[in-house]
Amino acid sequence: MHSKEGCELNKALLEVKNLKKYFKVPQGMLHAVDDVSFTIQQGRTLGIVGESGCGKTTTGRALLRLIAPTGGSILFDGKDIMKLSSAQMRRQRQDMQLIFQDPFSSLNPRKTIAQTIEEPIRLARLISNSDERFMRVLDLMDTVGLAERLINTYPHELDGGRRQRIGIARALAMNPKFIVCDEPVSALDVSIQAQILNLMKKIQRDKGITYIFITHDLSVVNHFSDDIAVMYLGRLIEKASADDLFRKPLHPYTQALLSAIPVPRIHNRPERILLRGELTSPINPEPVCRFVNRCNYATEQCRKTEPALIEVEPGHFVACYLVHAEHRAGEAAP
Amino acid sequence: MEEKRTAASGNLLEIENLVIQYVSNDEITHAVNGIDLQIPVGKTLGLVGETGAGKTTTALSILNLVPAPQGRILSGTVKVEGNDVLRMNEKQLQAFRGNSVAMIFQDPMTALNPIKTVGDQIAEGIAVHKNLNKAAAFEEAMSMLELVGIPSGRAREYPHQFSGGMKQRVVIAIALACNPLLLIADEPTTALDVTIQAQVLKLINELRVKYQMSMLMITHDLGIVAEVCDAVAIMYAGKIVEYGTLEDIFDHFSHPYTKGLFDSLPNIEDRRAELKPIKGLIPDPTNLPGGCSFHPRCNYCTPECTQGEPFVRQLSETHVVRCNLYRDAGRNAL
Repeated sequence: MHSKEGCELNKALLEVKNLKKYFKVPQGMLHAVDDVSFTIQQGRTLGIVGESGCGKTTTGRALLRLIAPTGGSILFDGKDIMKLSSAQMRRQRQDMQLIFQDPFSSLNPRKTIAQTIEEPIRLARLISNSDERFMRVLDLMDTVGLAERLINTYPHELDGGRRQRIGIARALAMNPKFIVCDEPVSALDVSIQAQILNLMKKIQRDKGITYIFITHDLSVVNHFSDDIAVMYLGRLIEKASADDLFRKPLHPYTQALLSAIPVPRIHNRPERILLRGELTSPINPEPVCRFVNRCNYATEQCRKTEPALIEVEPGHFVACYLVHAEHRAGEAAP
Repeated sequence: MEEKRTAASGNLLEIENLVIQYVSNDEITHAVNGIDLQIPVGKTLGLVGETGAGKTTTALSILNLVPAPQGRILSGTVKVEGNDVLRMNEKQLQAFRGNSVAMIFQDPMTALNPIKTVGDQIAEGIAVHKNLNKAAAFEEAMSMLELVGIPSGRAREYPHQFSGGMKQRVVIAIALACNPLLLIADEPTTALDVTIQAQVLKLINELRVKYQMSMLMITHDLGIVAEVCDAVAIMYAGKIVEYGTLEDIFDHFSHPYTKGLFDSLPNIEDRRAELKPIKGLIPDPTNLPGGCSFHPRCNYCTPECTQGEPFVRQLSETHVVRCNLYRDAGRNAL
């Protein structure tokens, strides 16, 4: 859609198939991520949205094998990274980085900006000459908009926006192809949030980086992503381009979620679909639709078996019997 | 109860020239720097600003709860129904807090006592203010729970047995138990998911209308303001920089900072619209810039703005802006 480096367009950088992460808890098995599959093209951004406990953060970490997935396969640049040894995986992660949510707790308070950004370069033995390493740190600080005079300051001397810039510089230090951004702007004020989002977009344009952007903020994800995946209780329930998802959300949960966004305007306010109740437990879930207890349209079928994620329109996937039935009816019609 | 609702001026809350500082060993934090605010009976005022703007300090002053000794109220009056809260003695305050003015705090996870049942926590205020015995107060607490949509049978459960949204409902029940004249809601839904936020906002709105309460809604989210407020005060560095009705602020915003806030937000209708962040950072409240506090970040700054208090212009009966752009201009100069 946007003109990114032409030759690499449409090349899948990441292919995730049937990713699962279960946690053993006293009451049974907690299905944090349950059979999630998706593909991301190089240079694009996939937004993952959902509410607390839907498994979006666990998905991000499992992709980098920061927590060991229970099952599934992850192809990165054509390579199955589930098969890598931990030493190989460590090298692999030079290409796969993470930006954390909370810039207040994700930085070492005893390290200066320079030390923090330099650390991964040093550990990976990317640049052995310390002067060159220092130049690289300055270069990275410039990229993320940190003034050179801050080089010897500590995290506590800086505000949230600058701290998040350090987190970004650190993630960029390895020249990664792919970055998982886990709620990178949630802790920031709106005026600073906009600065950081613009910075991340610029970096993507300049370097062709692929992002996964995990957030609960729907207006931010709409602005930032090319494609959006909606998760509910460990399941991916809808995936489409950002345009399609916001123009025509198909899953009843997505519809309610989008309608709940508080829109900052006073005219033509959208009608709100209020959901009953709250998330059900992700522990030992029944093999039925996980949204069934809150859904206004649930039928017998939804209580019996679990709907699969099916492509109902080009590039638009949804896991809902209701939508599947409509889709089939639409195909049968002339 | 009826006579509780009437105030001579039509304003339930009147804050005048309020100045509050926090003094530590060698620093003075200028938290609130001379603000005036009114809330008419039965109306909701949104107090909007970013971290450190002084919103919560303003709210605490209405309950005379600014933490002493470091917090110092240097001047001003805070009148609820014509009575100056800042000049009440401890005994008067006890009768006043929770009864005339109640507060909902941001984080329901920490606002509740973990070792008391939710029923007991709601009953506590009822017993004190309505002079009821324990059993009668508990009875009333159970009906409060029903009112906020929690089955009364759960009154004997502890906070950890409730989800975040349910806890916030309990906090609302505590605040409303004594039928206050003014409800202060300090970011009441920031810690909640968006579908739960929609439920809680709807609940607050319904109860406010039902009990003809006035409300001070503190938030950084202009979407929430559009949804629940009648009037809006935009706060920056301890000052109200713009004040008006919803239409004044959303359709005719006039202060460069207010414009900056709107420009920083992603546009849900047009996801490709560029974010225009406010440049720079929020000033350090221990070292505020001279003149207009916003001038270092302002695109309209003139030499005049760096010295002396900015001009205050009454743009209409309801709309006030504090900005030198309006020294000569009577209408929107942006």
